[in-house]
Amino acid sequence: MDVPALVRRVPSWFLPLVAAVLVALFPLFGVQADVQRQIILICTLALVVSGLNLSLGYAGELALGQAAIFAGGAYVSGYLGAHGHTELLLQLLAAAVASLLIGIITGVPGLRLGSWALAMVSFFLVLLVPDILQLLKEQTGGSFGLSGIQFPTLFGLTLDQEGFYVFVAVCTALWLLMLRNLVTSRHGTAFRTLRESPVLASSLGISVFRMKLSAYAIGALPAGIAGCLFANLDHFISPDSFGFTLSVSILAASILGGSASVYGALIGAAILQLGPLESTSFQQYALVVYGLLLVLGGVLLSNGIAGILDRVRVRAQRRWLPRPRSASFQGERLPAIEGRGLQVEGAVKSFGGVQALQDVSLLAKPGQVTALIGPNGSGKTTLLNMVCGYYRLDGGTIRLGDEPLSSTPYQVARAGVARTFQTPSIPPRLTVAEAVAAGRYASQKASFLSAVLRLPGYRRARNTDVEEARRVLALVGLEDLEHEEAASLPLGTRRLLEVARSLVSRPQVLLLDEAASGLDEDEVERLAVLIRTIRDSGGTVVLVEHNFRLVLSLADHIYVLARGQILAAGSPAEIEVHPEVMTEYLGVKTPAGERLLQTAGQESADD
Amino acid sequence: MSTVWGGLALGAIYALVALGYNIVFVSSNVFNFAQAQLLMLGTFIAFWGSVTLKLPTVVVFLLCAVVVGVVAVVEERTAIRLVRGTEGLLVTTVGFATLLDGLTQVIWGGQPLQVPFFGPSKVLDLLSGNVFPVELVLIGVAVVLALGFVAITRGSMLGIALLAVSEDREAALMRGINVRAVAIGAFAAAGVVAGLLGPLIGPKTFAVATLGSSLALKGFVAMAIGGFGSAPGALIGGFAVGLIESESGRYLGESYSTLMIFLALLLVLLLAPNGLFGHARERTV
Repeated sequence: MDVPALVRRVPSWFLPLVAAVLVALFPLFGVQADVQRQIILICTLALVVSGLNLSLGYAGELALGQAAIFAGGAYVSGYLGAHGHTELLLQLLAAAVASLLIGIITGVPGLRLGSWALAMVSFFLVLLVPDILQLLKEQTGGSFGLSGIQFPTLFGLTLDQEGFYVFVAVCTALWLLMLRNLVTSRHGTAFRTLRESPVLASSLGISVFRMKLSAYAIGALPAGIAGCLFANLDHFISPDSFGFTLSVSILAASILGGSASVYGALIGAAILQLGPLESTSFQQYALVVYGLLLVLGGVLLSNGIAGILDRVRVRAQRRWLPRPRSASFQGERLPAIEGRGLQVEGAVKSFGGVQALQDVSLLAKPGQVTALIGPNGSGKTTLLNMVCGYYRLDGGTIRLGDEPLSSTPYQVARAGVARTFQTPSIPPRLTVAEAVAAGRYASQKASFLSAVLRLPGYRRARNTDVEEARRVLALVGLEDLEHEEAASLPLGTRRLLEVARSLVSRPQVLLLDEAASGLDEDEVERLAVLIRTIRDSGGTVVLVEHNFRLVLSLADHIYVLARGQILAAGSPAEIEVHPEVMTEYLGVKTPAGERLLQTAGQESADD
Repeated sequence: MSTVWGGLALGAIYALVALGYNIVFVSSNVFNFAQAQLLMLGTFIAFWGSVTLKLPTVVVFLLCAVVVGVVAVVEERTAIRLVRGTEGLLVTTVGFATLLDGLTQVIWGGQPLQVPFFGPSKVLDLLSGNVFPVELVLIGVAVVLALGFVAITRGSMLGIALLAVSEDREAALMRGINVRAVAIGAFAAAGVVAGLLGPLIGPKTFAVATLGSSLALKGFVAMAIGGFGSAPGALIGGFAVGLIESESGRYLGESYSTLMIFLALLLVLLLAPNGLFGHARERTV
C-alpha cells in the first residue's frame, strides 16, 4: 500500500474543513456559552483580518480602514435589526453591499496615488466613524450607541445563542473557503505578480488599477459581514468598539498570523482575542504592545506564523512525500505563431533636456528576428518601454500590424506584445508552472466569481493554463522544474522562464530585453536555438542585445542605435563591416571610420 | 475673521506635518507615518519641561529638540533601515506611530494637557478678527520653514544631494553621496524640527495622545493637495485644510469639519492626483 500517494490525494482543504465542522458542532459537545462567545469574537476578527490579508498580503496595498468598514456593516445590520428586519441573510446582504460601496468609493481615489495614499484614505474612514454616527444620530444613536437590536432570525426562525454560534462558524468557514479558492486560483497568482511588480503585471496584460481596486474592495466584503455578525452578538453597538485601537489590532493580527495566507487570519485573530484583547488590565498598554508587535513583526516576521507553518509543510512534503515526476509533455511544443509586424515611425522622446530618442523608425517583420543594438544609453530599452506603453511618445507612431498600438501598458500586452526584462522579474512563492501560467492571465478570461465557486469556466481556464505552461516549459527545456519555486532558480534558468512566460500567451510580437546577459555559453546556445524556433514558427522577435556575435548569428535584420538615433540598419553581413558601427559601437578603428571621426571633429570645430 | 485666523493657525500646524513628511520623503523616499506623532511627542515634552520641571523657555526648546530628535533617529534605525519594501515600511512606521501613541498615553494619561505659551497670551484684534499671538507665530513659522526648505533643496549642495538620493539611491551612492548619512540626517532633522515645534503647537492643540493620528491624516491631506515633495504646496495645502476645517465647523457644525476635509481629499485625488505643485514621474522598468 502506497501511503505517500494516498496522503497526497487528500485535498488541501480537507483538514481545514474537518476542523471547521468540529468547531461548528461545539455546542453538541457541551462547550460553554462563554467559550462560544470567544469563538464568535475570534471569527469576526478573523473575517476582518482576512480582508486585510487579501489587499495587504496578496495585492500589496495597506488598507487601514477595515475597522470603519466593520462599523459600516455593523450599523447597517443593527439598524435593520432594530427596525424589525431580523432576517440574517438579508442583513448580511445589506452589510456586504454597504462594505463594497465603501470599498469602491474610498478605493478609487486612494489608488490614484502611491501606496501610502490608500493607507491614509482608508485610515481616514476610522477617524470619520464617530462624526458620521453623530450626524446620523436619529438612526445610529450617536455616541450613546445603538440598542434594541432584535434577536436575529434565519428563514423566519429565531436563532438562539447556539444557533447563532453555528451560523457564525459556518459563515466564517464559507468565507475562508471562498478566499482560499480565490487566492489559489490564477487570480491569486495575478495578485502576487502585482505585489511583486506593477510593471511586470501590466506587461502580462493585467490592469494594475482594476486589480488593486478588486483586491481592496473584495477585502472590504468580509469586514462588512463581520460587522453584521458583531451587531447580532450583543444586540448593542457603540462607536467605542470601532476606534483606532481596533484598526491597529487588525493590522497586528494580520502581521502576526501572516498577511499572505488564508488561515493566518484565524491564527492572528485567535492569538489577539485570547491574549491581549481578553484582559482588561491590558487596555492601558494595548497601543504600546501593538506598536512593538508591528515594528518587530514588520522587521522579523516576513510571512507571519502561517508562513513559518507553510515552510515546515513544504519541507515535510519534500522529505516524506516527494512528487513523482510527471510524464513528459507529448504534444506539439510550439504550434504556429501568427506574428504581426511592429512598426515604429519617427519616435521622439526626451526626458527633461535629454533627447533619448530622435526620429527613430524601425520595422520588425513576422518570421524574422529583428535586433536592436547600440552602446549603453543609446535608447534601446527606452524604445522598448515606449512600445510597451511605459513611456509616452513625444512624437511619432507605433503600429502593430495595421492598427496603431495602444499606449496603456496592459492593453499593449493584450494586443499581443509580450516581453522579458533586463533583470528577470518573478514573484516569490510561486511554482515554475504558476509563474509561467501567469502569462496567460489576460488571454483567457475567468471571472473572480467563477474562480471562487470553481465553475466550469474557471476549470477550463485552469486546465488550459496547466497544459500551455507545460507546453512552453517543454519548449524551453524546464519541464523537470515545473513544481520548483520559481524565484529561487539561478539567473539563467529564470531568464528562460521569462521567455517561457512571454511565449505562453502566443504573442504576435516578442520583445527580448538583453535576454542573453548573464547566461553561460550553454545557456546562450539554448536561447539561440529557442529564438530560431520561435522565428521559424512565424513569430515576430525583437532582440535587444549586447552580445554582438549572438546578434550576428541570429538576426535577420539589425538596427544600430547611437545617441537616440538610428546609426545604421541592414543585414548582419552589412552591419558587421559597417565602418560607423565598428567605430561607434565596437571601438574598432578602420580607415573609413578614422576618416569619419576626423570629419566629425572638423564639423564640431567649425561650429 | 476670527475663524479664518484660527483656521490658518491650524492649517500652519498641518503644513508643518506635511513639511515633515516632505523632508523625509525627499531624502529617503519613505513616507514616515509617524511624523505627526513626533510633533505630538514634542508637545508632551514641552508640557513636561515647562509645567512639570518648570524649566526656562530656552531649555524647554532644547529638551524638546534633543528628545524628539533622538526618538526620530531610533525610528530610522529600527523601523526604517531594517525594512524592505513599501508595504513593510508602512507597517513598521504605523507600528512606531502606535508605539508613540501608546507610550505617551501610558506616561501622561488620556486627558488633554494645556501647554502654556511662553510669549504674550493677550488676544489681539487684527483685520477685525480675534487672534492669539501664538497663532500668528505658528503661521509665521510655517511660512519661514517652507521657504527655508525650498532654499535648501534648490540652492545648496546638501539639497541637491537630498534630491539625488530621492531620485535614484544607487546612482547617488555611485556619485559618492553618503546615502545612509543623508537618510539618518533627514530623520534627525525632521525630529529636531518637530521637537522645536512642540512648545509652539502645544498651546494651540493641547498635548493629548490622540493628537498624532488626527494630525497625521490632516497633514497628509495637506500634502496631497499641495503635491508630494513640494514645500510651497504643503504650506498652501495646510492652510486650505485648516480653513476648510474651521469654516465648515462654523457654518455646518462641528461634526462636519472632518468630513469636509475627507471630501476635499477625495476630490483632489480624483481630479488632480499629483496635487497643485507635484509633478508626475514616468514609470521606469
